[in-house]
Amino acid sequence: MLRVCSITLVAMITSAASAWAQGAGDANLAEAAKKEGRVVVYSTTDAASANPLLKDFAALYPGITVDYTDMNSTEVYSRFIAEVAAGTGTADVVWSAAMDLQLKLAADGNAAIYASSEIPSLPKWAVWENKAYGTTYEPITFVYNKRLVPPSDVPQDHAALLTLLTTKPDAYRGKITAYDPEKSVGYLFDNEDIKYFPQAWDLFRAFGKVGARLYPAAGIMMERVTSGEHTIAYGVFGSYALARSKKVPNLGIIMPKDYTLVMSRVAFVSAKAKNPNAARLFLDYLLSKRGQNVIANAADLYSLRDDVTGEATVAGVRALIGDKARPVAIDRELLANLDASKRLEFIKKWQAAMKGQ
Amino acid sequence: MTVESPAGAVPTLRVAIPFTFYRFVVIAVTAAVVLAPLSLVFYQSFLDAPFFQPAARLSLYAYRFVFADEDFWVAFGTTLLLASGMTLIAVPLGAGLAFLMVRTDVPGRNWLEPIILIPIFVSAVVLAFGYVVALGPVGILTTSMRELIGVAPWNLYSFPFLVAIAGLTHVPHVYLYAAAALRGLGSDVEEAARTAGAKPWRVALDVSLPMVLPAILFAAVLVFFLGFELFGLPLVLGDPQGVLVLSTYLFKLTNKLGVPSYQLMAVVVVAIVAITAPLVFVQRLLLREAQRYVSVRGKGVRLAALRLGAWRWAAFAAIALWFVFSVVLPLAGITLRSFVETWGEGIALSEVLTLDHYRELLDYPNVVRSMINTLGIGVIGGAAAVVFYTAIALAVHRWPSQWTRIIDYLVMLPRAMPGLVAGLALLWVFLFFKPITPLRQTLVSVWLAYTVVWLAYGMRLVSGTLLQVAPELEEAGRTTGASETRVKFDVTLPLIRAGMLASWLLIFLIFVREYSTGIYLLGPGTEVIGSLVISLWGTGAIDLVSALSVVNVGMIGIGLLIAIRLGVRLHG
Repeated sequence: MLRVCSITLVAMITSAASAWAQGAGDANLAEAAKKEGRVVVYSTTDAASANPLLKDFAALYPGITVDYTDMNSTEVYSRFIAEVAAGTGTADVVWSAAMDLQLKLAADGNAAIYASSEIPSLPKWAVWENKAYGTTYEPITFVYNKRLVPPSDVPQDHAALLTLLTTKPDAYRGKITAYDPEKSVGYLFDNEDIKYFPQAWDLFRAFGKVGARLYPAAGIMMERVTSGEHTIAYGVFGSYALARSKKVPNLGIIMPKDYTLVMSRVAFVSAKAKNPNAARLFLDYLLSKRGQNVIANAADLYSLRDDVTGEATVAGVRALIGDKARPVAIDRELLANLDASKRLEFIKKWQAAMKGQ
Repeated sequence: MTVESPAGAVPTLRVAIPFTFYRFVVIAVTAAVVLAPLSLVFYQSFLDAPFFQPAARLSLYAYRFVFADEDFWVAFGTTLLLASGMTLIAVPLGAGLAFLMVRTDVPGRNWLEPIILIPIFVSAVVLAFGYVVALGPVGILTTSMRELIGVAPWNLYSFPFLVAIAGLTHVPHVYLYAAAALRGLGSDVEEAARTAGAKPWRVALDVSLPMVLPAILFAAVLVFFLGFELFGLPLVLGDPQGVLVLSTYLFKLTNKLGVPSYQLMAVVVVAIVAITAPLVFVQRLLLREAQRYVSVRGKGVRLAALRLGAWRWAAFAAIALWFVFSVVLPLAGITLRSFVETWGEGIALSEVLTLDHYRELLDYPNVVRSMINTLGIGVIGGAAAVVFYTAIALAVHRWPSQWTRIIDYLVMLPRAMPGLVAGLALLWVFLFFKPITPLRQTLVSVWLAYTVVWLAYGMRLVSGTLLQVAPELEEAGRTTGASETRVKFDVTLPLIRAGMLASWLLIFLIFVREYSTGIYLLGPGTEVIGSLVISLWGTGAIDLVSALSVVNVGMIGIGLLIAIRLGVRLHG
């Protein structure tokens, strides 16, 4: 009994001490991180988007190497849980766009508790129990081919898209593309749509009736839209679309005016991190004004901080759609998306909808 | 006997380790690397959660789920159709091609052979990307056709088209076996038929065909079998359309329930193995049959070419057409994509030309590493794999024992498992078998996975070479009193050096091309081009994918050129 007490006491003292150390400022953290020398990041953000961030981090902390691996969200999850179970080394920071899987990992005890000093500058919905942090503010958009979709057809909101597909099905047969909910983040987005758009299932059925093509990644959808194989892509990360449209001018982006979903890449420090200080430092950097400025203006991933300026920011989104942004909050509700029976039920209904039923 | 002489100490030591001991060590190692991943998958299929989670319990839940899933049966049916369809296309064409190349005076038969084999060495994913750019709904050829005749005459994403592409790209596999069998037969019977007045095609159908039938059947089983594993083509061309085959169904299962459901994937693998393992048996039977025919060959076989007359150029044109469709078109497509920002309807390609994608390759450390690693795994890993294959082949070479049968089956087993799953299973082995855990994040893990997956192929190459060493040479060594070990090292090995070199080149080509096996092993330090391309494709970085694919094809091209220059026969 006494022993248990003393252990608890020691634990309390150390945690208090480390909390104090955090409070003492980033200098100590940076020093400790430098001693570790590296941080391993598993991420779903493709290297093309993450590159400016990694370069800036390297410039800021020259002594710390970032081992950055981008994989798809399932691979991130699979590797991480297997490595944790095996007790071998794993990622120090996990940073993924699959918000539901990230929350599951954090809820299952894989995330270290770390109160970042940046919390005061973050929106409430983006911080979960000082474990999981939203890092971006990415609107979910419609993307279209400017040359092939006449201006009068360009749908400005979800209802307009539904109308377009029901009134001109022949013009858009085979021309619509969307995420495949069976193997991508599409499942999450579609279920959010159902919350905000009463005719969501009508829209999905309309997709089925015009023979929409489903892909697992936004990049493929955009490739096919710019080539003209398809002309409108539904539910694409506005971040990727913005980056792509800078290279390919005929790519148009619409933030739906009725409501625009906003998703956020979730990051946490692994409870089993081998380089915990470097991991905290990297997370702090992602959330810091400097990091968020890179996220907004170099990586095009949209900053969630109010004090960052530019097109790809909270303010930039507000300028386009006012108060119609609907961020997906980082909380336990996300876990409902991983309920197997619910998923199977949805997939069945979705498959029927894809047949137009 | 030579105890007092220090110089004699070494041979005495060698004699001290009997060759039988070496044989059993090799069998044990082979069994371990083959059975560990396979049994892990088998075990996983009877659990209700990932095997490493404490909550995992024995259960038949996964079997019930998969067999009740409508998608599984749809995928199963489609796979059967695809495999049969491609076999029906590849077998007659491959056999015909072999007849033309070996037996007739078709123009260019001396330099055509290496070219014909190219499809074997190009990654299916690269081909698929290329087809989208060339023949997709807004592909370069499709749009020009539409301008010409008003409608697009084909639909790249239709199922028949997928079957056709799969079939045509597997023609070389059939060609290899049919050509080898034809070469082994004397042409005297054919000449006899010709003298009796038979036309060339009659000779082909009534005389040559029956004699090489076992070899062709063997190739047919092989192609059917490859149809079950086909992954790259259906993933890129069939998936968006909802065309599911077993391998893409497997891929989809990772996400279907929200979190990766290994138990379900394991069940599908068990199902695939249940179908492919019997095929391996059938292949063995056929091979024995084929060898019986080959044994009628006499000394001094002279191959007199059948004269095709006016049909010579028609035959050549048919080969050229096949080649343009299955190699030139897709490779031109992917190359073109790598030099433009965008493409498609109404875009003048001259305005979007760029070299940026190649410059960008160097911006990403993981991409740079993938190029270095791919070369490394091809050159060094390829050599190491050949050494490993040779070690096994030597152990069973001319060993009159039932154990060779066991090795034969062991070697075939990994082939029954799709590369994707073999990679995942090996990831588990590396994670949970502590002695080798430190090697997981090194290229050794990828190398081992590749070596195991290509075990059957590599063994065929090496044992083919070994069989060319006449037994009397080894017997001579034995008669002069050398130990069996000594004979293997001093007689057999030096004699197969050239064959090993050729095998090395072929393994290089295969390793550089490989894409599915490394997907789950991908990490900092273990990137290889093939797997990285799939991963990048998933995130949609098409620019990088196309440039990287061209680099990959370039490496393979260089390898092929070296092989041709050295006079390596591309089929061991």
